[in-house]
Amino acid sequence: MAVDAQPTDTHLDADGDVIVTEGLTKVFEGRGGPLRAVENLSLRVHRAEIFGLLGPNGAGKTTTVEILEGINKSDSGKVSVLGLDPNRDSTQLKERIGVQLQTAALYPNLTVVELIDVFRSFYKHSLPTSQLISEYGLEERKTGLTKELSGGQRQRLSVALAMVNDPELIFLDEPTTGLDPQARRSLWDRVAALKAEGRTVVMTTHYMEEAEQLCDRVAIMDHGRILELGTVDAVVSGHFKERSVRFATVPAFDDAHLAQLRAVTRVAHETDETVLYTTDVPATIGDLERLGERVGAKNLDVAVKRPTLEDVFLELTGRALRD
Amino acid sequence: MSRFTRGLLPLTIANVKSYVRDRGALFWTIAFPVLFVVLFGSLFSGGTTKFTVGWVDQDQSAAATSLRQGFAAVSLLDLKDANQDDALAQMRDGKLDAVIVVPAGLGTALSSTGSTSTPFQLILYTDPSKQSASGTVQQVVAQVVGGINQTLSGKPPELAVQPQTLQTQNLTNAAYFVPSILAMALMQLGVFAAIPLVAQREKQILKRLSATPLARSTLVGSNVFTRLLIAVVQTLIIVGIGAVLFGVSVLQPLAVAALVVLGAVTFVSIGYVIASYARTEDSANTLASVVQFPLMFLSGIFFPIAFMPQWLQPVAAFLPLTYLGDALRQTMVGGAAYAPLYIDVLVLAGWLAVTFLISARYFRWQ
Ligand SMILES: Nc1ncnc2c1ncn2[C@@H]1O[C@H](COP(=O)(O)OP(=O)(O)OP(=O)(O)O)[C@@H](O)[C@H]1O
Ligand SMILES: [Mg+2]
Repeated sequence: MAVDAQPTDTHLDADGDVIVTEGLTKVFEGRGGPLRAVENLSLRVHRAEIFGLLGPNGAGKTTTVEILEGINKSDSGKVSVLGLDPNRDSTQLKERIGVQLQTAALYPNLTVVELIDVFRSFYKHSLPTSQLISEYGLEERKTGLTKELSGGQRQRLSVALAMVNDPELIFLDEPTTGLDPQARRSLWDRVAALKAEGRTVVMTTHYMEEAEQLCDRVAIMDHGRILELGTVDAVVSGHFKERSVRFATVPAFDDAHLAQLRAVTRVAHETDETVLYTTDVPATIGDLERLGERVGAKNLDVAVKRPTLEDVFLELTGRALRD
Repeated sequence: MSRFTRGLLPLTIANVKSYVRDRGALFWTIAFPVLFVVLFGSLFSGGTTKFTVGWVDQDQSAAATSLRQGFAAVSLLDLKDANQDDALAQMRDGKLDAVIVVPAGLGTALSSTGSTSTPFQLILYTDPSKQSASGTVQQVVAQVVGGINQTLSGKPPELAVQPQTLQTQNLTNAAYFVPSILAMALMQLGVFAAIPLVAQREKQILKRLSATPLARSTLVGSNVFTRLLIAVVQTLIIVGIGAVLFGVSVLQPLAVAALVVLGAVTFVSIGYVIASYARTEDSANTLASVVQFPLMFLSGIFFPIAFMPQWLQPVAAFLPLTYLGDALRQTMVGGAAYAPLYIDVLVLAGWLAVTFLISARYFRWQ
């Protein structure tokens, strides 16, 4: 019958993707009225990729991730994670995913080994404690109470806890916040290794350099919406065709002259630097040097920069401080 | 493995470890009741080096008088003459520790030369719930009687002691407060039981656990088991100290064990209701303290409810601790009951059922 032939509304065609969402929306009832933390969010995460969720504070990253993990409910929209519905099949899903939360504390009066062992007991299948301890650099502190760990050690432990069940999909919410540079790089190596092992990683971060280094694809979001989604290269070149040419500001130059130089599209000032955006770096630099000779400003210290993810991020989400 | 049992034991062990490593909690649940028992004991039970024993002489012979002298010579005993009814009434009121009855016929039995071989029976009333008093008096009486038999140099009839028990209504202070302190400790353990869960909710540990397959029922179950384990340890400590220092014995160990479990679970359930209405660890602590004080002082666990002002007595009749204290007292040391035991059990079970439903409905996980 014709009625039966209608496609069911809840069906999502995962098409081999690990995560599919369509029109995901989450509204919090706050004191100042309803707050739309996630609004009409649609994305796909492919198998064995590292997917980065980027966005300023309060953008809705954590809320999105928690809906995917099945610990928060969306108000509308469709979600499929590993082919499961995070609400309906949450127990099944939780066996297969690893979760590191942005803010969760640990049992303060257990040792590192005890805590890992307790978490292992929750799962049907788990990795050996000693393997996790060594992979996350916790050997020295393995008999210490978790409340006595440094911030970075605690962070590594919470990532190790996300791995106890040997998950095929791992959610890391700001995993490198508070880590020293060595620990951060060592965690990058771990995350890259997870991908090499065929696992999928969804992570949030405020470090654009980290996203550039690690993520196959990123989504930049703000106010609960996705503003840009794609590989880092595609996102950057989609926004900036130009390179930037920077030098210490010379008072004798005026912006009107600079804007006339060949291939310059825009002139900007950052602290005591002048920035020229150009589609042709050699032409612009040649013109700039001739201009310098004319006004007696020689030996300009010129640096050429490719635009970065951070430039796109700031362009998209604005420079003003939030919250 | 069923979903409930997965993780239950490791999580319970983890809870116990966390608990033992938290010095503050350990002090309140172990050291505090111990201090309470010792303090109350030394304050109220005094030096019981002398036992007051009622002397009922129904024979009125010279032999009975010399027997009395034999007992009076023992410095541990303080004899008070009375007729049987008065003596037993005084013993019930707690004024006498024991009563010795010399039945009529002692004089004739001793003067008639060796015609009968059945020993002549003295009757000794003691209260088994006052372990140290009854034990000491029984020993002393047996020694005195043995001595007399020796001086009679085996000429029949010998004297013998026929033990009788008498349940006294007015318990010694120690016998009254040991079950009270046990009830109080179980109540405190219970009303503060959900604080760890509230703290874990506040620190988002519960949120982290909710991202694992661990069932909520397992989480709650392990928390309740942890509390039950602590309750057992507390019970052993309190009953042990009561027995060693104050001679308070336990009449019905199995019934006491069952009541300890019922009481602990009931107050744990009340603790979960408290946690359902508190947002933070601090407010849950405050709320639990606010709940425990009226329970402690209006439940007649430290003094009989009959001593309370008339208008407060219905309050006591409503509070669960009244019934736990009463039930523990009846099964540990006997004494006057506030309500029949089955009523105590029913009231506790009622509180358990109602509070369980409330907390199951209103406990917030996030
Ligand atoms: N439980 C809640 N109740 C009410 N509002 C909430 C709740 N959780 C989050 N929000 C609001 O939803 C919005 C999105 O929050 P979310 O934590 O997802 O941001 P985020 O992108 O992870 O930010 P950050 O980078 O600071 O971690 C914020 O405005 C936040 O205040
Ligand atoms: Mg966040």
